[in-house]
Amino acid sequence: MILRVFNWAMAALMLAPLVLIVWMSFTPAAFFRLPLTEFSLRWYREAFNYPGFFNSFLLSLRLAGVSATIATILAFLAAYGLVRFRFPGKGALEGFFMSPLLVPGVVYGIAMLQFVNSLGLYNTFWALVMAHIAIVVPYALRTIHAQLRAVPEDLEWAARTLGATRTRTLLKVTLPLCARGVLSGFLLAFLISFAEVTVVIFMTGPAYQTLPIRIYNYLTDQIDPTVAAISAMLIGLSLVLILILDRIGGLRPTAK
Amino acid sequence: MSGADAAPAGSVPVGRGTARWLPSIFVLPLCIALALAFLWPLIDGTINSFHPFTRAGIDRESWTLANYAKLWDSFYAGILMRTIRVSLIVTLLTAALAYPVALYIVRLSPRVQAIYLLIYMTPWLVNVVVKAFGWTLLLGNRGVINNVLQGLGITDSPLRLMLNETGIVIGLTHGHFIFVLLPLWAALGGLDPNLRWAAANLGARAWDIFRRVTLPLTLPALVAGLIINFTMNMTAFATPALLGGARARVVSFLAYETNLVDLNWPLGSAMAVAMLAISLLLVWLSQRAAASGSRRVMFEGAAR
Repeated sequence: MILRVFNWAMAALMLAPLVLIVWMSFTPAAFFRLPLTEFSLRWYREAFNYPGFFNSFLLSLRLAGVSATIATILAFLAAYGLVRFRFPGKGALEGFFMSPLLVPGVVYGIAMLQFVNSLGLYNTFWALVMAHIAIVVPYALRTIHAQLRAVPEDLEWAARTLGATRTRTLLKVTLPLCARGVLSGFLLAFLISFAEVTVVIFMTGPAYQTLPIRIYNYLTDQIDPTVAAISAMLIGLSLVLILILDRIGGLRPTAK
Repeated sequence: MSGADAAPAGSVPVGRGTARWLPSIFVLPLCIALALAFLWPLIDGTINSFHPFTRAGIDRESWTLANYAKLWDSFYAGILMRTIRVSLIVTLLTAALAYPVALYIVRLSPRVQAIYLLIYMTPWLVNVVVKAFGWTLLLGNRGVINNVLQGLGITDSPLRLMLNETGIVIGLTHGHFIFVLLPLWAALGGLDPNLRWAAANLGARAWDIFRRVTLPLTLPALVAGLIINFTMNMTAFATPALLGGARARVVSFLAYETNLVDLNWPLGSAMAVAMLAISLLLVWLSQRAAASGSRRVMFEGAAR
């Protein structure tokens, strides 16, 4: 009984900040006031009228799309190599591919700041893409790897026996069979990239403020419900992506 | 990605019918990408940490350990101590809060369990900056909590709940809760219920069963989760920056100032190297803790 109430309280606490954001985003007042009876879309209008937010949203979308696409292609090829062949040093290679998960964002961000500057890539889009590929690749690889292991190799052999080349087999048999894993891997990579804060805040230049960074900078400056409207939309967006991921089973291998 | 060597029996043995270089076609692109975008920057930064910092910038001609020595200065050591203290408080608080939750939800039907796990996972799925903003609405001077407290006449002036260590503790406990809850939930779910029944049968009271059966058997998972939680607390950036601010600086915030305000990259790199070493050590410890758990379960399974 005590445990039940405690669990409810903790679950409520988990959701409280998020519920409050959504609530705040629909009130006309600039600060929290009781009782909350009025309804307004004022802050959504302000959010769209503040050009910084919209540009940053487009940048985040582009960055997440490009990095997730490249990372998914690299991860699919690597997963195929790891699952279908035996070769010396395979275990070490897998460890290397997953190693970005072990490095804290602050550490990688500092390294990238200095690296990108020494290459003259500071304040460029491709510097961000580089960082994001390294950050999201382990997630894509893990998801695709798990799916590829479940694809029976006999089907590939059947295609080969019937005269298909290796490339054709890969594209026409293997890829469709693990399309679900590839799609989950892509969506997960997209989600992680879109949400990335720490690494980007260390290495990005003023011209490339992703949406989370724009919100961060806005928050260190002032607090008003414009951010609530943006945040509410972000919560909605991640909710949609997570529901899709859950539907196609993409959250299972990562939750482990 | 565990069990990599357990390749399917029919997998292609390299050498017969296939060229030896064939696997590298698939593996090499990612290898090159990570070597360029990940490994090289880390090595480059590590090298920078051994160069002295002068007014003209990094002196790449000479070598020094001064950057690492500087980390022991009282100013830096003090911030490190605060970071460790805050992280430890968060970890212990999370342990105390997550255990009862795990005990409760593991007994629910699988469907309800899934719903609760998703609820507890939401803080991880929502952007860290958005979360911090949500806490600002709750904890700020004009936030919900102070509003209610003053509205009810309990306090006259606002309580300082953020832009100090309290704010960091609340934000991090919320943000990293799932990393303790999930392994704990898995371990509790994997416990043989016969053990509890046997203990009860032999006359143990509920508390004794928990203390002498359940807790010891789930301890490895708990410890592994707590170490991961602690590591994440130590290296978190956005939450402490927004909810703690400059008044409650932690190591990552200091690293930000050193690299982007002072532009002292050698010192900033030394901080990064130290943080990396500490977190790798902690991850290794947590994996050992988890492994000791599975060994114990195996041993007991064999003895039964």
